[in-house]
Formats: sequence, structure tokens, C-alpha cells
Amino acid sequence: MKHVECINYINLDCEKGMCALSKQIVPIDGNGSDACGHFQPAPVCGNCACFADADKHGIGTCKGFEKENWTYAKCGAFCCEHYKAARG
Amino acid sequence: MKLQEILKARGITDEQLKEVQEQDIPAAAESFQRIMDIYYLLKVTADMESAYWYNRVWWENDGDLLEVRRAKAVAASLAHSTPTILPYEKLVMNKTKHLRGAFPFPWVCASFFNSLAESLMEEAEAPAENEADSGSVVGAGGGNVTESYGEVISIAKKFGMRKEDIPVLVKVSKYWDGISVEDISTKYAKTLPGFEQFQNIMDSVLVMFDSFAIPQGREVMNYYMPLQYGFDGILELCDEKIAETMGETGGDGVLGMSRGYYYAAMKEIVKGLSQWCENYARKAEDLASREPDEAYKKNYLEIAQVMHNIAHKRPSTFREALQMTLCLHLGVVNEDPQSGQSIGRLGQVLQPFYEKDIADGTTTEEEVVELLELYRIKITCIECFASAGVSGGVLSGNTFNNLSLGGQNYDGLSAVTPLEYLIIEAGMRAQTPQPTLSILYDEKLPEDFLMKAAACTKLGMGYPAWMNNQVGMNFMLRQYDPEGMDLYDARAWCLGGCLESAPGCFLPLEYNGKVTMIPGGASPTCGTGIHFTGLPKVLELVLTNGVDKRTGKQVFPPHNKKLKIFDELLDQWKEYLDISNRIVNKVNNIQMDVWRKYNMPAVNSLLKPDCFKKGQHIGNCGARYNACINFESCGTITFINSLASLKKNVYDTKKYTLEEMTDAMLHNFGFRTAYDTGVFSPDYRESTDDAQKYAEIFADCINAPKYGNADPYADQLLRDYHMYLLHYLPTLESFFGKPEYLCQISVSTHGPQGFITLATADGRLAGTTYSDGSVSAAPGTDKNGVYALFESATVYDHSQNQNAQMNLKLHPSSVQGVQGTRKLLELVRTYMRKGGFHVQFNVVSSDILKEAQKTPDQYRDLMVRVAGFTQYWCEIGKPIQDEVIYRTEYEEV
Repeated sequence: MKHVECINYINLDCEKGMCALSKQIVPIDGNGSDACGHFQPAPVCGNCACFADADKHGIGTCKGFEKENWTYAKCGAFCCEHYKAARG
Repeated sequence: MKLQEILKARGITDEQLKEVQEQDIPAAAESFQRIMDIYYLLKVTADMESAYWYNRVWWENDGDLLEVRRAKAVAASLAHSTPTILPYEKLVMNKTKHLRGAFPFPWVCASFFNSLAESLMEEAEAPAENEADSGSVVGAGGGNVTESYGEVISIAKKFGMRKEDIPVLVKVSKYWDGISVEDISTKYAKTLPGFEQFQNIMDSVLVMFDSFAIPQGREVMNYYMPLQYGFDGILELCDEKIAETMGETGGDGVLGMSRGYYYAAMKEIVKGLSQWCENYARKAEDLASREPDEAYKKNYLEIAQVMHNIAHKRPSTFREALQMTLCLHLGVVNEDPQSGQSIGRLGQVLQPFYEKDIADGTTTEEEVVELLELYRIKITCIECFASAGVSGGVLSGNTFNNLSLGGQNYDGLSAVTPLEYLIIEAGMRAQTPQPTLSILYDEKLPEDFLMKAAACTKLGMGYPAWMNNQVGMNFMLRQYDPEGMDLYDARAWCLGGCLESAPGCFLPLEYNGKVTMIPGGASPTCGTGIHFTGLPKVLELVLTNGVDKRTGKQVFPPHNKKLKIFDELLDQWKEYLDISNRIVNKVNNIQMDVWRKYNMPAVNSLLKPDCFKKGQHIGNCGARYNACINFESCGTITFINSLASLKKNVYDTKKYTLEEMTDAMLHNFGFRTAYDTGVFSPDYRESTDDAQKYAEIFADCINAPKYGNADPYADQLLRDYHMYLLHYLPTLESFFGKPEYLCQISVSTHGPQGFITLATADGRLAGTTYSDGSVSAAPGTDKNGVYALFESATVYDHSQNQNAQMNLKLHPSSVQGVQGTRKLLELVRTYMRKGGFHVQFNVVSSDILKEAQKTPDQYRDLMVRVAGFTQYWCEIGKPIQDEVIYRTEYEEV
């Protein structure tokens, strides 16, 4: 599990974020990017029960709305009206 | 009695006065400093969330009426953007989930991404070299991501995008292949007779870029509607209007029926804005629920309350009102690629809220200053996702969100408010490039306010710049008279973008038991049109019979004239300019027409008066004033000085033939070109074997009369040029069916357009930057002091154009102490009294700039004024850095 996949991760830019708990800047990649024991999965499409059939790029199907459509696993879902956590 | 005599009578000598310094500037708030510590580490980042949701909802509503479909798509992109809140923030909301974030708009321009799709996918699928590499940071120039590294792909040499977003970018872009605004407009532009001429012009970079690149901006926000009614109130108004207009033409058989659809669209966009605010409220509550620290938890809960309130109701405090304006601003800049979406006269708009909170004791001046400091970071973080040419070549990475102060109020008195003092104070304490500040100088403004503004200018951040309020008002009355501009609306003008005077109006805000007439923007963009024509390049093509010698291409039809008299030369320049303008204007009109049909503003069409009153979006001329499309020039003084040299050396003294002059220019006067040396500074000269051959002609070109010295020989040419354009440009008609006019800003285009221009007859060498602005002297050529420069600049009436731009560089020693502040203000006042429209200052030593160029890492926070905007030194390109270094430095005022 990575910091960037955690609910406590605050987005900063394409290479780093901030941990909402520790207030430390944490990298997305490489050394120091592994999450700590407080990890909880962030709401993204890839963690949603309505997400299925992802391809190698993480692009799959969203079945949460009246009209099915494609989406991608890393898409933020905090604001999605139909997000249902599949795990965590 | 003179000031010095008064001081002397009080026992204060000149020497003592020099030692007096302004009150030490207090440090910015801790919250500001903490966020800026993070800001300096930030990479400019693009992601796909907003673009994905726009694309998804647009296509899910295929078949719906276009204005409603568009509003739904924009609303979805806002309402699904992941909220990001830092623990130290009090003002929240960002363009995207990243602090310096932006996203692409393939529905506007898809070809760039589609042409790169294969290589982008290859890059995205390539594994990072190793773990260490994947975490390392490459890239230079502050936050710019100039190269790909690890899991980050560089796009347009500015934005970093995560590899996992690339397949999404490619997939979304495919939807728009052949049907983006760019593609559709190109399809119809190609049917124009003369389209090949257009291509030649654009290929030569004689004209800098297409209008769809940034179709909104260079205008002023209007915050009135949500401040007066709140989002829930507007929804009720929409329902009333729908009941009134749906199915009715109102006597207009063409656009009347659109009114009902407009209100339906406005409902969608208001719901999106409201949801966007609610999302931030919910996010703040979420963070509070997991926050162990009580102080941070309290802060999150306060944010939640503010965001929940403004999601529905009109603001009830200063903080809520400021947050609301920020929400609206970000909403507008998220609906199109934009630069120059100006804030306007915020200190006058928010004064009623500030006044009430201070009177009630619910806030303090210090708390307000802190919010204004934090606001500066938010505006500085606004990025525009555009091509490398637009981002770097035009914008220098800035997005020109200008905040104006001063001017006149509705009643024709000084409009300065107590809040405006605090806005300047925040700008002094919290030094960031944006929002840049502009003083609408008027003789009615309080002296202590002007002194405070001058003290701020002295600090060297490049703001505030100074604009002449009376000249601006006169321009408004001249340009917008046919659309009903009156004295009251003229008083509401201010700066859109860096220097585009934009019309406004006053609207009655009911708050705190009284009515305040608050100003706001009242037009669409005042900055699209024929964008950045390189005036010296047109002259070069006259001398080369229409051939661009740099590329070998025939840009204009050969004129085959001997040009035996000066007027023939000038007439040919006018003829080539007209050929360029006619075809570029037609293409531009098609581009903007396609844009307004498919991509009409949604948020901005809610805000701009009189859209809601008429029931028409901005594309349908819903705004009050629409004669706002223009011709933008670049390199005015390089052009004038070149004319002066040709007139002197060829036509008056007849020392050289035109062919000899042209030959010298083609051979760069015997020097190596900047293309060869990589040095763009105008004072850098490296001889070739031909140097001796051209030494005399070069000296004569250098010594020819130059603008900026109160020399009528050169200045008369400037006056004649302006009189010609005053009458010529209105013969061009915009897509709004209105006459066009002259806009004079170079932004950063004097770099790239200088780059493509060979040596000029004024002695400027090939590839180096043009003179900046429109009435700045060419670097090093103003020999008679600043007052002579003012004489030259005001040989024509500045109110006949949208603007005029003068940049001055002062050595800090020239304005030290309180006495120096007074000198600076008097300098400004002198220029304004002569009728000058604009002056801005770099108060910095050239030695510091040279040092910063060598060791940029040690000057991460150094800012300079370029041409209408301030930018971090390390984030602007080298040609512009060289030009700023070489500007004449006045050591005495």
C-alpha cells in the first residue's frame, strides 16, 4: 500500500502529497512512498463496487450510474454520488 | 513653500531624510508562510479528473440542446473534482485536485494530443529506470516540469502528468478528433480564398497564435449575482425566468427562443457550483473527523461551515464573500483555457462585508490581511493548460489575474476603500506574482493611499502598476459609445488581463441594510482578435519583397517596387499589414464563432451583466458591451526606430540605398546571430569576418534618431502610426459584428517574435527581443532621461487605444527612503498628467538579475516585472531574462 492510495493523502502535485495525520510531505514513488499502519483506502473508482473489467491501463467500466460508461481506476471518487467502497 | 523648505524649517535635512525608511513591513501570517514553503516545492501538474467528467457528461447528453449540454458538462467537471484542503488553509478550492493544477481541453484543441498519442502511450508504458530514478526530481525553472522523469511525463515543457493518466488523456482526446473547436474552425477556414496566405503568415510567426488557444480571459469578473442572491436564490430566479420565457420569442425570431434554454443551462451550472462548494464542506468535515490536533480540527470545521453556507446562501461575512469570489473565479477559469481573467476592483466589491465585520467586531484587520495573503497564493496557483508556445512564449507561465484598485466610484468620487489599503498591505507582506495589482490613478485618490501604493511598487515585485483612470474612462466612452456606454459605466472600467482595459458597470448590492453600487466586468474577452502581429517583421518582409529570408518562404505576394520615397515604403508596409489582418481576422472570426456555438461560456454567462437579464449567453452577445475584439501589436518601438533609421539613412541623407541597408540587415551587420550564439541580449555582439564591411552602416543605424529622447524626428513617426491605426483598424469587423481597435501589449511575445525577425534598421540584431511594451524605449536608446521619454510617449492621445504600455527599470538607490517614495509618486504623477496611460517599474539592480541568471537556485523567490505581469525570475525564458537585464536602468529619478 502506498501513501497516495490512502484516505489521509492530500494531493500536492504529480510527485508528492501530504499526510493529513503527520503533516509530512510524502512521495508518490520510490523511497518513502509506502503507507504506514494508519492506512485506509482512498475513494477512487478502482476501489468502488461499481467498477469492473479494468484493462492493463486501469481503464474499466463504471456500472454505478443509469448509463454505463468507461472510467479509470485512479479517478478520484470522493465526489461521486454513486461511490460504494468495495474494500477497506 | 516647497516640501524641502518645510522640512528644513523643521530641522530635517536632505541627508536625514534619505536615512528614513518606511515602517518595517510585518511578516506575513504563519499560515501564508507554511503554504508558501510548500508552494516553492510544487511542480505544475496536469491531471484528467475534470476532463474525464466533462467528456463523460457531454457525451451522455448527446442530442440535448447545446447550451444545456455544455452547462451540464462544465458543472460535472466542477462537481467531481476531488477537493484538496491543506491543514493551514483558511481559503479553499483549487482548479484541480493539485495546488498548481490544470487540465487539458481536448474539446477545444485535440490535435496536439492526438498527434502525440502513440509516443505518449509509449512513454507512459516505458518502465522507470529504477526506484531511485522514479523518485528523483528533474526539471528546471521553479515549478515547471520541462522534462519527463520517473512516473511523470512532461507535457508542453511545463506540466507534469502521471503516467497512469496518459491513457485517459489519449482516450478522451480521441472523442474530439476532427470535431474540436480547432478542427471544425480549421475545416471552414480552409474554404476561405486566401487560406494559404493565412498559413504562410502563421508559419512565419508574423502573427503569434490562434484565438481558440485561450478564448476567454483578458476581461473582468463580475461577482454580483451570487453575492446578491446566493446560489439557491439564483435557482429560484431561473425557475421564474423559465416560466416566463420558455416557448416565447419575446419578439426576437432568431434568438428569442434561446432564452428559456439559457435559463435551463444556468440552473445546471449553478447546481454544479453549489455542489462543488458542498464537496469542500464535506471534505473539511471528513478531515476534521480524523484530525487529532484540536486547532487543525477547528480550522477544518470553520472551513466546512463557510463552504456549506456559500453552497446555498448569499455570503454573510467578509470571509464567506471572499471565498465566494474565489469559487466563482476558479469556476470561470475552469471552463476554458484562459489567461487574464481579472479579479477587478475586489476591494470595492467586498468593502460592505469588511465594513460590517469590523463594525460588529467579528473580525480584525489582521485577520482580514491574513485572508488576503492566503488569497494571493490561491490566485498565484492558477495555471493555464495550453501549448508550449502559448504557455511559455506568450504567458511566461503567468495567467494575469489582475486586481485593480482606486479609480472613481459610481458618484464620480474617489473609489478607494479601507479594504484596498489592506489589499496593498497583503501584497507587501505576502510577495507572490499574483494577483498583480493595478492602481487606477486619478487626481481624486487620497495621497496616503497613493504613497502606500508607491511604497509597495518600490519593493521590487513589479506591482502595483499604474494606469491613468481618466484616459481609461475616455477610451471606454469612445469605444463603447455605440452600445450605450455612459459616464456611470465608464467609471466602472478596470484592467482585464495584464493591461487590456475592459468595460464594466455598477450594480446595486443590498447588504447590511443599505445599497452599495459595486463595480464589475461587463464584457466578454477584450483580448482575442488578431493576436500579436510583429510590426518589425512586416517591415522586414517589405524590404525582402515578401520573402521570409529566415525560412526561405514567400509570405506575401512580391510587391516588386523600388520604394523610391519614404511614403512608398510606408504604404507597402500598410498594404502587407492589411493583407495579414484581413485573412487572419476572417480565420479568427470563424474560430471564435465555432467556439461560441459549441463551447459557450457557462459560468461566465451566469455572471456577466446583462446575460441573465436578456436570457442570452456571452456567445449570443448577452453581455452589455461586445465591441471588445482587437488587433494586438508587438514591437512598436523597434518598428518606429527602424523607420526612423531608414528615413534618415536612405531617404533624407541618402547615404545608403535601400538595397545596401537590406543587405546589411540580412548579414546581421557583420555579427554572429543569436541563433548561433544562444545569447539573446541586445548588447551582446560577436563579430564575423564581414564585421568591417558593415561597421559604418551599423554605426549609422545605431546613431539614427531614436524614440524616447523627445526627438520629433522619431516621435512624429509614432504619432503618424497611431493616427493611421486609429482610422484603419475599425474597418475590421469582429465576429460580434463590431469594429476592432488597437491593443498594445507585448506580454512575452517580444521574445519569440524577435526570435524570428532578422536584424532591423535601428541596429537591433537578428533573433534578439523586440523592444517591450508599446512606449518603452528600446533598451539603452533613451539617452535624455525619463522625462524626455515621457515627452516622446505622449505625442499622441493614449485614450484612442485600449492601452499603451511603458516599462521602466529603476535602481533601488534612486527611490530609497520616504523621500524616494515621494519621488516615485511624483514621477508617476508627471506621466499621468501628461496623458500617459500606463507605467510599471522594476526596482531592481541589473547586477542582481545577472547573478540570478547564473545561480537561479539561490533566487527562487526573486520576481520581476515583464510586460504587464510579474513572474518568478526562474520561471521565465532566457530571451526575456536577457531583455529585462538590458533594459535601461535609471539610477536617478
